[in-house]
Amino acid sequence: MSKKFKVSICSGTTCYVLGGAQMMLLEDCLPVDIKDDVEVVGSSCLQKCHEPNAKPPFVQINDYVMESASLTKVIDYIREHR
Amino acid sequence: MNYINNAAIIKRQVMVRLAKLIFDDTLKDNIDLIPVLMTPKNSESVRCCIHHDRAVLKSRVKVLLGFTAASDTQADEVKLLKEYAGDAEQQGEDRFDDRILTVIDDACSACIRAKYQVTNACRGCVARPCIMNCPKKAIRFERGHAIIDENLCVSCGICEKVCPYHAIVYQPIPCEEACPVNAISKDEFGKEKIDPQKCVYCGKCMLACPFGAIMERSEMFDILRDIKNRDKMTVAMVAPSIAGQFNTDFGKIVSALKKLGFDKVVEVAYGADITAQKETEEFIERLGHKQTLMTSSCCPAYVQIIKKHIPSMRSYVSDTYSPMIYTGEWVSNQWPGAARVFIGPCVAKRFEARESAYVDNVMTYEELGSILIAAGVDVVECDDQEPDKSASIIGRGFAVSGGVSNAVLASAASRGVNAVGKPINGINNKTVSLLKVLDKTIKEPAFIEVMTCEGGCLNGPGVTSSPVVAKKFLDKMLK
Repeated sequence: MSKKFKVSICSGTTCYVLGGAQMMLLEDCLPVDIKDDVEVVGSSCLQKCHEPNAKPPFVQINDYVMESASLTKVIDYIREHR
Repeated sequence: MNYINNAAIIKRQVMVRLAKLIFDDTLKDNIDLIPVLMTPKNSESVRCCIHHDRAVLKSRVKVLLGFTAASDTQADEVKLLKEYAGDAEQQGEDRFDDRILTVIDDACSACIRAKYQVTNACRGCVARPCIMNCPKKAIRFERGHAIIDENLCVSCGICEKVCPYHAIVYQPIPCEEACPVNAISKDEFGKEKIDPQKCVYCGKCMLACPFGAIMERSEMFDILRDIKNRDKMTVAMVAPSIAGQFNTDFGKIVSALKKLGFDKVVEVAYGADITAQKETEEFIERLGHKQTLMTSSCCPAYVQIIKKHIPSMRSYVSDTYSPMIYTGEWVSNQWPGAARVFIGPCVAKRFEARESAYVDNVMTYEELGSILIAAGVDVVECDDQEPDKSASIIGRGFAVSGGVSNAVLASAASRGVNAVGKPINGINNKTVSLLKVLDKTIKEPAFIEVMTCEGGCLNGPGVTSSPVVAKKFLDKMLK
């Protein structure tokens, strides 16, 4: 069975240096209530940082692209949309 | 622990913008626009208004150009950033001194002096043990609540202990609390000042300040000038803790550095191999002379702590040079005349490099990351390359607490010399007290490794990665 949320964490240098490093811990800190619904996949650069006024780090959750992403923002989003 | 926070991200954003202008050769035309572009008209301000934000950003650019944040004269206060850029070009190395860290007055929030505060959990009780027990009569009663007079309070903490409702809380001044040697304190206006006589350049205050008011004076202006100059050879000497700083393997980081303009990339772990070997020899020789204790010397902040604060321990510190110095020496012989840039997680290395003839400049991973962004180099998309000088896994292990002592103790044991040594992992007030009496508490032969940052260099003040993530990559390299 495929999981409900597919989370791609941009691992491009821009996202990584501007706050994305912390995102790599997402898989380890998913709360139990949503853990089974989430699949975390690594991703190369999502190419969002090239847009003007881009706000890295970026994370893509299914079709939704989150800017200024953080661990809590991702977890909150998933809880809201499940 | 090094947590990601908004103040750190803003600092990196400024670094990216500055580096971009240097790469594009438009520094003098556009440098004064940086504060305005980052806080445009009608944007949301972080401080009281965008003008305050802009003033702080201007100071940040100034510090990134290598100057202190202080404006000594009125002329300094109105001086444009492009004039500072001109000064940086003209003065070169001469603009640096022993003030490695600097406080941006406009950013410092002048945290209240008293470290204890009465919260609204105060019920205005009849017993009032806080007032009765305060030795300085600093607490008065107003509108049903106890109030602490911050000018009288000496932060003894008695009121916090005696309050039956736990209504009084301890609220530290983050930078002062983080400094292990009391080098930072308030001036008459409540702003923090760093005493260069006492500062050991550990960078803990810089990480602790929630306003990002403390910065290290960057050398990126000089480094970028050198890597842009195709006639000058530049060598990147990368510390072993670089593993995992960019969420990818070391080989890709090597080729990213070359793309950036470095001609050669050398592992400082190579110098760590030499340090391990020489330190073992020195240790065995010292034991032969009836000494029992020797400590490591590769952490420059620790060396400064001993020099400035615990001189009685000085003879126990190893005379062996640090991995950075041995690597710099090798590079100097290999490529005479090349610009030698140490890339690491460390603030104190800046001072060590300034005192050495073998290293020209120092930059942190945070600065490197920002420069990579500015140059449009994505590390993950680079191909794997071998460094121009690589090292053994022993030297690479120096990046984590215990790495040095494991190397020295194992190598001594293989030569029939047995000794003990529990590393001192992280400097704080407690470990400073421990160091003061270390020579009196050690009875059997011991080699003590001391790392100022808890966990080792992986958790240094200039890292980009969470130490947990970086450790995973380093472990891979140590296999």
